Amino acid sequence: MKRAWVVMRRELSSFFVSPLAYVVLTAWLVWNGVVFWVLTEFYARNAVASGAASPLSAFFGGSSLFFIPLLVFVPILTMRLVAAEQQSGTIEPLMTAPVSDGAIIVGKYVAAIAMWCVLWLPTVIYAWIMRQHGTVDWGAVAASYLGIFLLGTYFMAIGLLMSALAPTQIIAAVLSFVALGVLFTVGIGEFVFDGAARDFCAYVSMWGHMQSFAKGVVDTRYLVFDLSVAVLAVGLSVGVLEARRRG
Amino acid sequence: MNDVSFRVERGEIVGFLGPNGAGKTTTLRMLTGYLAPTSGAIRIDGIDAIRSSIEARARLGYMPEGVPLYREMRVDEYLRHRAALKAVDGIADAVDRSLERAGVADARRRIIGQLSKGYRQRVGLAESLLADPPILILDEPTSGLDPNQVRQFRDLVRSFARKKTVLLSTHILSEVEAVCDRVIIIREGEKVADLAPGDSETSLEDVFADLTASARAGDAS
Repeated sequence: MKRAWVVMRRELSSFFVSPLAYVVLTAWLVWNGVVFWVLTEFYARNAVASGAASPLSAFFGGSSLFFIPLLVFVPILTMRLVAAEQQSGTIEPLMTAPVSDGAIIVGKYVAAIAMWCVLWLPTVIYAWIMRQHGTVDWGAVAASYLGIFLLGTYFMAIGLLMSALAPTQIIAAVLSFVALGVLFTVGIGEFVFDGAARDFCAYVSMWGHMQSFAKGVVDTRYLVFDLSVAVLAVGLSVGVLEARRRG
Repeated sequence: MNDVSFRVERGEIVGFLGPNGAGKTTTLRMLTGYLAPTSGAIRIDGIDAIRSSIEARARLGYMPEGVPLYREMRVDEYLRHRAALKAVDGIADAVDRSLERAGVADARRRIIGQLSKGYRQRVGLAESLLADPPILILDEPTSGLDPNQVRQFRDLVRSFARKKTVLLSTHILSEVEAVCDRVIIIREGEKVADLAPGDSETSLEDVFADLTASARAGDAS
């Protein structure tokens, strides 16, 4: 696992020396700043309608505004992971170094999770801003971040798998975008279908997932779902590298 | 690839020759574990390179064709990263030593993407020397080098004689004559010759032309 650490370190340092990192982080904060402002305005003007919800619980996944930027930013974060090495040819020295395919993939995956955390870290300031003007349910905030972390384990794994499958970064980004878009839309099926189909859609719903965590409810069904998807997608990514060796 | 069998003895410098598209790179990629052969066996330093790929790879220094490198890194950063990946002991010393041997010590703080092709080539060579491996596999190591750099490279390879096993692919015949103890010629995925450059009466150029062109004429008939 020491070699996975070496892979991770390079992945992170190459991300943070690239202009892409700063463009992504800035754009992300601008977009979410606008989302937070609109939500705050909404609750300030509709105090009665809002009930138990707060701008923070809406910001952390209680509204669909949470997911629109993610559908864009997750593919941008993960597209490079394997596809960039494939495109530039550096995958060859990487795969001929005395390192297992598992260590390569785990290194890249952990790097992606770290990027995800860096993306979310500055949003703590929104909770601080709310604190200046009212009360904040810190338990719910903590649960929200736990929910975001879990969502990250599953989003990053899907992005990684797409990056391993795709020959170029652009294709990797498109594949991740479609995968996440489809998963998001299937979750909406909760409001469309009945019976078993409804239950299934509710189970995979990333919206339902974040609504629950944003209220401060840590639901283990979502935890199991996120971690199983993550393990599956990371495992499949290792399989993709192994398959590549066989032509 | 079809039935290419050969043996390279310890300390030997062997040239791997063939026309473009003959399967040189594919063969080297199988030896280094980048591609898995569908059948056959590969032994590196006595290790089954298919079953124990990682152990076999640990004994190889490999410079792939085109020398792909992380362009955003500095030369010494890249070498330190690769040394860590190869679990080399004493990374700083290993990096200094291989920078020196490959003649890129003066470029150690430069960003790889801004280096000329010749320099990048030498960074690739320095990388392959990091772990001081007993076996070097170099795929077209002199393509893109100027004549002085080619000469330096040949001197370096000659200095490995009897110390390291070197397998280098090329289609520059003079290079083979200058540095190799033995030549293996392949054509369309098959081995057609295995000889020492001094062996035959005719020049290596004629041998190469004969083996690769006459066989092709044979295909046409």
